[in-house]
Amino acid sequence: MTALLETRGVWQRFGGLIANSDVSISVQAGEIVGLIGPNGAGKSTLFNLIAGVLPPTEGSIIFDDENVTRLPAAERCQRGIARTFQVVKSFETMTVIDNVIVGALIRTTVMREARRKAHEVLDFCGLAARADVPASQLIPSEKRRLEVARALATEPKLLLLDEVLTGLTPIEAQRGVELVRKVRATGVTVLMVEHVMEIVMPLVDRAIVLDLGKVLVEGKPADVVRDPKVIAAYLGDRHAVGA
Amino acid sequence: MHIMTAETIIQSLASGLLMGLLYGLIAVGLALIFGLMDVVNFAHGEFLMIAMYATFFLFAFFAVDPLLSAPLVAAALFVFGAVVYLLVVRFAMRAKANAGMVQIFSTFGLAIVMRGLAQFFFTPDYRSITHSWLGGKTVSIAGIFLPVPQLFGALVAIAAFGALWFFINRTDFGRALEATREDAGAVALVGIDKNRVFALGWGLGAALVGLAGAIMAIFFYIYPDVGASFALIAYVTVALGGFGSVFGAFAGGLLVGLVEATTALILPPSLKSVGIYAVYLLVVFIRPRGLFGSL
Amino acid sequence: MDTAFAERRRRNLIVAACLAAIAALVPLFVKDVYVQNIMVLSLMYAALSQSWNILSGYCGQISLGHALYFGLGAYTTALLFTKFGVLPWFGMLGGGLISAAIALALGYPCFRLRGHYFVIATIVIAETALLLFQNWEWAGAALGIDIPVRGDSWLKFQFTRSKLPYFYFALVLACIAWFVTWWLEDSKWGYWWRAVKDNPDAAESLGVVVFNSKMGAAAVSAFLTAVGGSFYAQFVSYIDPESVMGFQFSLLMALPAVLGGIGTLWGPMLGAVILIPLTELTRSFIGGSGRGVDLIVYGALIVLISLARPQGLVGMFSRHRKAATR
Repeated sequence: MTALLETRGVWQRFGGLIANSDVSISVQAGEIVGLIGPNGAGKSTLFNLIAGVLPPTEGSIIFDDENVTRLPAAERCQRGIARTFQVVKSFETMTVIDNVIVGALIRTTVMREARRKAHEVLDFCGLAARADVPASQLIPSEKRRLEVARALATEPKLLLLDEVLTGLTPIEAQRGVELVRKVRATGVTVLMVEHVMEIVMPLVDRAIVLDLGKVLVEGKPADVVRDPKVIAAYLGDRHAVGA
Repeated sequence: MHIMTAETIIQSLASGLLMGLLYGLIAVGLALIFGLMDVVNFAHGEFLMIAMYATFFLFAFFAVDPLLSAPLVAAALFVFGAVVYLLVVRFAMRAKANAGMVQIFSTFGLAIVMRGLAQFFFTPDYRSITHSWLGGKTVSIAGIFLPVPQLFGALVAIAAFGALWFFINRTDFGRALEATREDAGAVALVGIDKNRVFALGWGLGAALVGLAGAIMAIFFYIYPDVGASFALIAYVTVALGGFGSVFGAFAGGLLVGLVEATTALILPPSLKSVGIYAVYLLVVFIRPRGLFGSL
Repeated sequence: MDTAFAERRRRNLIVAACLAAIAALVPLFVKDVYVQNIMVLSLMYAALSQSWNILSGYCGQISLGHALYFGLGAYTTALLFTKFGVLPWFGMLGGGLISAAIALALGYPCFRLRGHYFVIATIVIAETALLLFQNWEWAGAALGIDIPVRGDSWLKFQFTRSKLPYFYFALVLACIAWFVTWWLEDSKWGYWWRAVKDNPDAAESLGVVVFNSKMGAAAVSAFLTAVGGSFYAQFVSYIDPESVMGFQFSLLMALPAVLGGIGTLWGPMLGAVILIPLTELTRSFIGGSGRGVDLIVYGALIVLISLARPQGLVGMFSRHRKAATR
């Protein structure tokens, strides 16, 4: 079975700094994959490469059997890759529903359709009650949900979540986990970068661990967590959470 | 158009360099303020205008030569700049939505008010300082005739840049300025009052353009709209050099002065600014952050 | 939820139609030529500011060089008429298309610029155009173009006996500008413009092609502004570079929107009907010695609005309305 997303030999260099080195991963349709690793491992860079923020120095990215390596972010969204931002980037002068409508408009130009779809998505994400509130007035966890809702409105095949569970209270984090499960249940594949191990490990089907720009280990969460190489990598990072 | 001999060309370029240094002096205040707090002072030209008027009135009523009034005018502009920050800009920076628009139009509105006040109090008549120590004199250096006021202005500009460099890199306040520029939020934690630093930054920026104005009053006509023409040159200079870069303002000024002089040799005098505008567009299209800009 | 939204949209349309109807009746009661003149100018600036608002308010690309398009519209009409006998109606269309084309051509390099670099580029481009026109002999250079007026004619769009036709045309122009904004506001373009304004990176991640969005806004805005310029040329029958491409025009197109509410549907209209009469009246009432007073007044207004109420005066009304429905 061909993977939904594949990165083949991806290298990312910034001048003399190597952020990603020979990274080849794949994500199957319908999976929830966790991308983890200590600080500076190159997770965010890889994430941004997949999202289309910048093209890789070397290597290719294949999505849904198409080589999208040179496609900019907007076109990748067209193809079905949506993402959230770690530092929430809501459209502050617009209401919650309007924020989501922006996403919905990539699939339809009929406003009534887009609005209906936006309402559905808000409902799905538990933000229906806040539809007419200006995005600037949301509390942080609601803003995170809005990020997800907006991305979902673009009807993605692959949803990239950037530390969507970090910094939430345990209750909020649990609700977040449920939302991610709901998203997968609708047929959307999820690739999530995360830091909070104890939340993420029960959630993902598979974990890919990066360290120093390279893929260290991949496999089932339970196995990965016990892998001595992974433990060593995290112990070396004083800011690791969990484990 | 002039007869183009090597002599006239060198003459023009030399004058251009001198004016360029003065443009740099006008522009550096703008660069400083922007580098400090990400705000473009769209009333900068009007600061120049009041400096010129102040110099004129000190001459007209008290017969004070511009050279003597220059430090006074600079000091007065320092206070004025700080006051403008405290009364207007401080509030402009609080805007969350439409932040860019607020900053642009609050200072623009101020510029309009200042121009209106100048027209109201001073009338639109053109003024000039008729007798001054340096006015109208030229000096010959290596066979090139240079106007003394501009030469003096250029020297003052160089001295000011030097003093500014020293101030920013070697004094405590200069370091506070840099620190606030890097992280305005964090400096409060080390006991630096952000508002005070910003006010002083504005004062300093205004004082520099005040100095330029006092000198320019010697050889330019003074009228309410005089700020507008120089303001655009100042913005172009700063943008060319890269917003936030003091050195960029210096280099930008020189470049602008040279380009203006060169253009005046080739095109009719009314088109002399076209060269500067063209260079600006060319530079930012290739390097969207200006030559030395990092912001 | 959806019906409330549709209702609000319809209400706006009805209010606009009513206001237009009322405005259309005003000249029947106001015969003073001086006042009529102010009304024509207010409507013209309402249209111009509304057009400016599309690029700078909705899409967030603040342009202080829109006098370029105004001037291009004025000159295209004037030149086509005086040199080739082309009727101003076609001249208007021509001016609009030329301006839109130039906006697109300029947008290509300019929209790569961010923030202040962009604003300054717009000022610089307009100034350059002004200087070029001042030195262009064929277009009249600094002396400009005098449009010969020989009696009333709808064909040639010139009227000597009454300002009323100009008034109605300006009213239609304002209505068109308002309507285009109203229509685009609830469309893919409108939403994408606002997304680009608020956060271009997020917009891109949602499939918005930021560059195309900006270009679209620029073209529409330039077209409408140029039509306004063409109208102005016919209204005053004499144009020169300083009077149609000067920076003061760029400012005067922006200020009503800032005052009334930048990025809103009614803001520029509201701002224009307050600002234009205010400046004209202060200028004439205080007479000769009052030079500069109009500047002081509207400069102070702009400072106050930007600091105290950046969302503009329109914000005051909608807040009350929202409170009333709670």
